[in-house]
Amino acid sequence: MEKYTLIITEKPDAAQRIASALNEKGKVQKKEDNGVPYYVAKRDKEIVVVPALGHLYTVAEERKGRNYYPVFNFRWVPRYAAERGAKQIRTWIETISKLAKDADMFVDACDYDIEGSVIGYCILKYACGDKETISKRMKYSTLTKEELEQSYAELHPHLDFALIEAGGTRHEVDWLYGVNLSRALTISARNWSGRYATLSTGRVQGPTLKFLVSREKSIRSFVPTPYWEIKAEVEINGSVFEAEYEKQKIEIKTEADTILNACKRKNGQVEKIDVKRFNQNPPVPFDLGTLQSEAYGLFGYTPRRTSYIAQRLYLDALISYPRTSSQKLPPEINYKAILKKLSRFPKYRKLAKELLRKPELKPREGKKKDPAHPAIYPTGKLPERDLDDSEKKVLDLVVRRFMAVFSEPATKQTMKVCINVNEHHFYLRGRQTLKEGWLRFYRPYLRSEETLLPPIEEGQTIEVKKVISENKFTKPPPRYNPGSLLKKMEDTEIGTKATRANIMQTLYDRKYVREERMIVTNLGFEVLEVLEKYCPPVVSIRLTSELEERMDKIQAKREKRENVLVDTVEILKPVVQELKEKEKIIGKQLSDAIKRARLEERIIGTCPVCGTGKLMILYSRKTGKRFIGCTNYFKGKCETSFPLPQKGSVTPLGKNCRGCGWPTVQVRMKGRRPWMLCFNPDCPLKKERRKRIEMRNMR
Amino acid sequence: MKCVICGREAVEKGYCELHAKAYESIDKKYDKWKKALRISWKEYLSEIVKNPLTGEWAKEVAEHLIKSGEKQSVTQR
Repeated sequence: MEKYTLIITEKPDAAQRIASALNEKGKVQKKEDNGVPYYVAKRDKEIVVVPALGHLYTVAEERKGRNYYPVFNFRWVPRYAAERGAKQIRTWIETISKLAKDADMFVDACDYDIEGSVIGYCILKYACGDKETISKRMKYSTLTKEELEQSYAELHPHLDFALIEAGGTRHEVDWLYGVNLSRALTISARNWSGRYATLSTGRVQGPTLKFLVSREKSIRSFVPTPYWEIKAEVEINGSVFEAEYEKQKIEIKTEADTILNACKRKNGQVEKIDVKRFNQNPPVPFDLGTLQSEAYGLFGYTPRRTSYIAQRLYLDALISYPRTSSQKLPPEINYKAILKKLSRFPKYRKLAKELLRKPELKPREGKKKDPAHPAIYPTGKLPERDLDDSEKKVLDLVVRRFMAVFSEPATKQTMKVCINVNEHHFYLRGRQTLKEGWLRFYRPYLRSEETLLPPIEEGQTIEVKKVISENKFTKPPPRYNPGSLLKKMEDTEIGTKATRANIMQTLYDRKYVREERMIVTNLGFEVLEVLEKYCPPVVSIRLTSELEERMDKIQAKREKRENVLVDTVEILKPVVQELKEKEKIIGKQLSDAIKRARLEERIIGTCPVCGTGKLMILYSRKTGKRFIGCTNYFKGKCETSFPLPQKGSVTPLGKNCRGCGWPTVQVRMKGRRPWMLCFNPDCPLKKERRKRIEMRNMR
Repeated sequence: MKCVICGREAVEKGYCELHAKAYESIDKKYDKWKKALRISWKEYLSEIVKNPLTGEWAKEVAEHLIKSGEKQSVTQR
């Protein structure tokens, strides 16, 4: 049998695209072995492209079992040997091993980043039988035919071993932290209460929880202070404007009253007009973090969702590789060709053509770099399938951002008019765009408003219609949301672009936080308290970012994997020892917290009947049936209760009914869409619905 | 000793670490309120209990202070 070239990709979609791009003779053949797809393409020689399913190998303890710690000895094993529910991986590895036997050339075409490099390396080493040393590497940033062909023609002669070592070490360090600390917490709680609940923490998860807890503490202990804001409503040429007082916050009521009295029924005079012109530069290209923040701010998509959408657009060859930290667009991507392709889309035609008319295309770039990939950019390809709404939105955002970075700065003008009212100064502010520049390209996503002021001259008398003093209060710091937490993690350099969104999700999955504006639960507080009390190094932000830095150094060949691993074990040994010694106290604290958390999960809201008790999902001792009851029942104060559906799951929704304001629950049943249930029998919405049904029946 | 509000381990003045932080915040902000509105400690406590911007723990401590009729910390004034 003639030998072929075996190309390994990270995902099935990428395998199909690569096979189609490299095929020169006839049609690409899709084959299957035990349900594992692979593709056969014909070029000068046969090429077999087989996909992985992300990571096929993982780090696991040498000794079997999950019920012990500390664990410092590990090895790389197939995922099916270490994880429950990864049975499919076994057939996948068997197929790759089978295909490797008849191959005489190996090419790693997994994503060119730290994770992709580890995925490809493990498959070549373990599934293909030590082929990592002879394998070649394909490097590409988009899945377009042109780039894939070029990448295949210019194969890198070997794998990037420094990147692989850095990636492998990251997995090993994270595993050491995660397995030891999570097991210590879970086993302590289980040994105390006899009930199992998964508790986890990790090298990045702990410090991230610390940010949230610290913010939550400030919010819950917050005491607002009063202040007064004074505003004057002035009329100029028939239009009314609001002018702010020179001092933004007045902290004493009598002072605010004195100003108010002094300005009442007095006219003002324009004392000074300050006009400033300035240029507003175009934005910089998207790296994954800025795309995630922008998509959260504009569309409310969580970082994880944006990352997932961007990955789909990349696999459809519509945008470049999204897991990048780069804010640079090198000329090699061929700006002109992309803009020409974009001009085929009616909605971008005018804008793309305008850019193409420029004598030189030079993008405005940001500071961040990534050695493996450029910033995220559109390929200009037309979608081959109907994109869903969220994909359309993210693609449009990427396209518009790409065009905006090549455009001119916008010119804006601000105007500050100082009005003297009985020796008190008020300011009227205007803001106007004089030259749109890049704003035209990014218009749907702009968030600033224009305030146009009429022509005003110094010395002009201004009619003051009224002066108002508003009593306000200082506000607590805002809760983190997925967008702002992602930014905080980036700024403090903890986690990587590929892991941050998943770490946030784990905090939700473990019930350490809830709701979009991330509220720390009692369980989250207790877990962090345990970690801070018994093992402060593992929640140290400084230590975590130092470790990140050292792992980056491995990639630059300035640090050795062994040193980092030895130091990690040195940090962990005393920490785990302390946790083991205090297992009973920790177990009690965590078990109590889990118990409280389970109880908290069943609270629906304040009882609308007595106003002081809490409505809770309860179970009848006699029948075992569930119902909603007030906690004041146990004190003999309130007998409020409501029936609940007995099938499916019922969870508090955290929202009040828009008809009656009562707390609501969500009911989920197999085969049905989840629905909101208001259990108030007299809810006006229910009455309306009943009326509508009656009317329909009558007709 | 247990926290008079939540039953966790008390660290200071009968409060746990979390409620002690809230008490400290209440005590510290009184000066600003007194200067702004010329109000008494008792009036201040009822104002912050009513305010929707007051944090959950601060509200619990203020309610407890009202109930117990405790005066403002003398040592700090």
